[in-house]
Amino acid sequence: MNVRRALPVALPPAALWKLLWDVPRIVGCVPGCVEAREIEPHRRYAAQMSQKVGPISLSVPLDVTVTEAEPDRRLALQARGRDPVIGAEIAMQVTLGIEAQGETSLLHVEAEGRVLGKLGALGHGVIQRKAEEAVDEFGARLQRATAG
Amino acid sequence: MLRPFALYRPTTLPELGELLAEHGNDAAIYAGGTELLLLLKEGLLRVRCLIDIKRVSGLDAILSEQGAVTIGATVRHRTVERSPLLHERCPLLARVAAHVANVRVRHVGTIGGNLAFADPHSDLATIGLAFDGAVSLWSRARERQVPLADFVLGPYETSRRDDEILTSVRLRPWLQGTVGAYLKFGVYERPTLGVALAVTMSPAGQVSEARLAVGCVGPRPRRFDDVEQQMIGATAADLADAAKPLADATAEAVDTVADLHGSADYKREMTRVFVRRAVATVAARAAGRDLHERYPHTIVV
Amino acid sequence: MSDTRTPSSCSLALTVNGRAVALEVPAHSLLLDVLRERLGLKGAKRSCDMQVCGACTVLVDGAPVSSCTYLAVEADGARVLTVEGLGDGDTLDPIQEAFIEHGAVQCGFCTSGMLMSARALLAEDPAPTRERVAHYLRGNLCRCTGYGKVIDAIVACGRRQEARA
Repeated sequence: MNVRRALPVALPPAALWKLLWDVPRIVGCVPGCVEAREIEPHRRYAAQMSQKVGPISLSVPLDVTVTEAEPDRRLALQARGRDPVIGAEIAMQVTLGIEAQGETSLLHVEAEGRVLGKLGALGHGVIQRKAEEAVDEFGARLQRATAG
Repeated sequence: MLRPFALYRPTTLPELGELLAEHGNDAAIYAGGTELLLLLKEGLLRVRCLIDIKRVSGLDAILSEQGAVTIGATVRHRTVERSPLLHERCPLLARVAAHVANVRVRHVGTIGGNLAFADPHSDLATIGLAFDGAVSLWSRARERQVPLADFVLGPYETSRRDDEILTSVRLRPWLQGTVGAYLKFGVYERPTLGVALAVTMSPAGQVSEARLAVGCVGPRPRRFDDVEQQMIGATAADLADAAKPLADATAEAVDTVADLHGSADYKREMTRVFVRRAVATVAARAAGRDLHERYPHTIVV
Repeated sequence: MSDTRTPSSCSLALTVNGRAVALEVPAHSLLLDVLRERLGLKGAKRSCDMQVCGACTVLVDGAPVSSCTYLAVEADGARVLTVEGLGDGDTLDPIQEAFIEHGAVQCGFCTSGMLMSARALLAEDPAPTRERVAHYLRGNLCRCTGYGKVIDAIVACGRRQEARA
C-alpha cells in the first residue's frame, strides 16, 4: 500500500518537530497504536498496533527504527513486525516532511508498506483503504491535539 | 485440519444469547460455515467454540406479509432459488440465487451468513438494496431493524454488535409493472461487479420508480439516488437513449477500490459498461422485447 | 448429536454408500478427512481446500457439498454418497459408463467430484441441456479435458436415462 497526504498542523515547524518525538502525545494520534515506548532516543522505538477488520483481529508488535532525521524538516522511519496469531507480517516505510506555512506547518506524509501472509493476499483491497483512513485520522487527531 | 473447538447447538434465541454472553469473542456464530470455516482453516480467526444457529427454531422460514417478504437467516441459497413464494414476489432475487458462488456453496451457505459476513465481492447485498432490504438484529436486550444501506459498513464490516445475531432480512417486493435485471461479471470464484436495476413502469408507459444498485467494486454496495431520479418519467425509448449518460453518471459517482480483481480505474470503467448494458436490457424488456445480444450472467425479470 | 456435556466430541450415526456407520469424532473434524482417513474412502480429493474446485464433492442427502469445508457433524443422521458408492460391484453406474465412452477422464483427479455433481444434477433434472450442465458444474474445475467431453457425457447420460424412462 501507498499513501500520500499533506496534513495541515497548527504549529510552526520547530514545535511540530518537537511534538513528533513526544512519544506519549504522538501515540494518541496514531490510529491503532495501543502503546509505544522509546528504546533508544531518536533512534529506536517499540510500538503495539491493533486493528480489526470484520471478524479478524490484528495485533502486531512493531520494531521502529528512525533512518533519517533532519531537524525541523524531515523524518524517515522503518517499521517491521509480525502478528504471531494469524501470521501476518508488516513492513512499512514512513517519511514525514515539514513544510513551513507562516506560523503553521504542512506535514507531508508518505507511507509505503506491505502486509505479507494470507491476510495480505486476502485483504488486499481492504488494506489500502484502511491505510488511507488511518493517515487521514492521524491528521485529524493531530489537528485536534494542536488546536487552541 | 482445523484447530479444536467445542460445538454448541442451542434451540432457542435466549439459549443462544446466553452462550454468546458466556463466550464473547471466543465464540463464532456458525450457520453454513462457508466463510467461517475458511477463515478458521487459514488461521485468520481463532475461536474456542462455534455456536450453531441452525437448530434455533424460527430462523429458517420464508414469510410473506403485506408489502414485505421476510427470509430467515438460516435459509440456504438453494432454498431461495427454489422458493415458489420468492419467485412470485421477488423474482430477481430467486433467480440470482441460482448464480451465487457454486452449487455446493448454494446448498450449504445461508442468507444470514452471507449478509453478516459482508464480503464485498458478493451478490446478495447488492440485490437486497434494490429491494429496500432491512435486517433484523436480535440480542438479549432488544431486537432492532437496520436498513441494509446502514448495515453494511465496509468490507467484512457491519453494524452488528458482538452480542447481536442477524435473524432475518426483510425485502419490499416490487410493484406490478416492474422490470428488473441483475448483471454480474467476473472471472474468479467471487464476482468482480454486480449491477441491479429495476424500473417500475406506470400504465402510461413512464418510469415511476427506479432502483439502481452497484456492488463488488467498492468497499460496500450502494444505491445511486441521483441516477435513479434521472430515470423518473422516462419512456422505455427514452431509457434506451439514456443508457450512456446514465452509465457515465454512475461511473462518476461510484467508489471503487483496487484489489486483486482490478484497479480502481478498471472497476470504474466496468461500472460504466455494465450499467449501460443494464439500462439497455431493462429498457428493451420494458418495451416488450429482449435484447438480441446475450450478456453472460444476466438475469432479467 | 452433539453431547452437551462434552461439546468437543460428537457421536455420529450415518449411512455411507448404503452402509450404516457409527463414529465418535471431534467437533472440528472435516467430512473429507473422516471419509478419507477414518473410512478409507479415498475417492474424494483434497485439492484447493477452499471449496472452489469441487474435487472433494460428495453428496449429503442428495446435495453436493465441498467436504473439505464441511464439518463431519453435519452428516449425522444423513445418507452420504461418495464415488465409491456409484455402481454396484462390477457394474458401473450409467454416468461412469458415459464418462468412459466420451473420453471425459484424463488424469482422473477431478473425476470423482465431476461424477458426484453429475449424479446430483441428474437426480434433479434427468435430461439436462448442455447449458444446464455447464451451469451446474461451474464449480467443478478440470485442468485436463477442457470440459467439452465431460458435458457431452452428462448430456448423453441424461438422454439415455430419458430414453429408458
